[in-house]
Amino acid sequence: MEDDDCLTTLKILIIGESGVGKSSLLLRFTDDTFDPEQAATIGVDFKVKSLTVDGNKAKLAIWDTAGQERFRTLTPSYYRGAQGVILVYDDKREISRDQGLRFARKHSTLFIECSAKTRDGVQCAFEELVEKVCYCRLENRWKKYVLDRGMI
Amino acid sequence: MASEQSDCAASSEANDLSSLLEDGKNAKHLKCERCGSTILRKGDAVHVKKEIFLPHMKKKSENQAPDDGETLTDFWLVKDMFTFENVGFSNTVENKKFLICADCEVGPIGCQDLADAINLYVALSRVKHE
Repeated sequence: MEDDDCLTTLKILIIGESGVGKSSLLLRFTDDTFDPEQAATIGVDFKVKSLTVDGNKAKLAIWDTAGQERFRTLTPSYYRGAQGVILVYDDKREISRDQGLRFARKHSTLFIECSAKTRDGVQCAFEELVEKVCYCRLENRWKKYVLDRGMI
Repeated sequence: MASEQSDCAASSEANDLSSLLEDGKNAKHLKCERCGSTILRKGDAVHVKKEIFLPHMKKKSENQAPDDGETLTDFWLVKDMFTFENVGFSNTVENKKFLICADCEVGPIGCQDLADAINLYVALSRVKHE
């Protein structure tokens, strides 16, 4: 049987202004196949998705704010325990690509361009985020190890 | 929890069931009937008999009542959402969340009763076994 050990589980949030395409992004990451016959939707709260990055398997629980941001009701229970956040903006609207890039640099975050329309870069955005979270964890563990032993 | 209701008429059903079971667990991978997305890997769920009402997967007609559905009795039980390979959870309706395919969002394929939140049920009849 193929190896299916899951190395890590991560809680990921998708946030951003209303209408910038958060839900489209999530739907593109999963394989949307539109079915008009599907019963009236109640709406999706979150999804669990498996992903392999550099041969390592991760499972993501991905939450989409689904319009809650409009009412400024992002409650602590929504973001508690999250290890990764995707802040989505639309570079065709108020914020330019440059502003997005500057924001990312200022806050030392990843900056990834993708299109929910063409699906370009979407898979890559999630993979890079997982890599970054795993790397940061490893780095923190290493720092702790070094500090605990008075090696600095 | 026991799966010992073999008294019913359908012995062929019982045969079908036994081919899906291995030590009370799923002998095959569970996949979405529509898009083939892997929902659970083999051996990751336990078979249980339980009566749970689920709305139909597809609208039968335009004026179908939202509570139109069926009571199912054979389920795969999972205790942790991260046991799933891929799955979606609907918003809460009457203290329940419905499980759907993470990829094509078809469903409900199962449910979670928030009063008993650690138990996640996937209906045998609403997934492919491969």
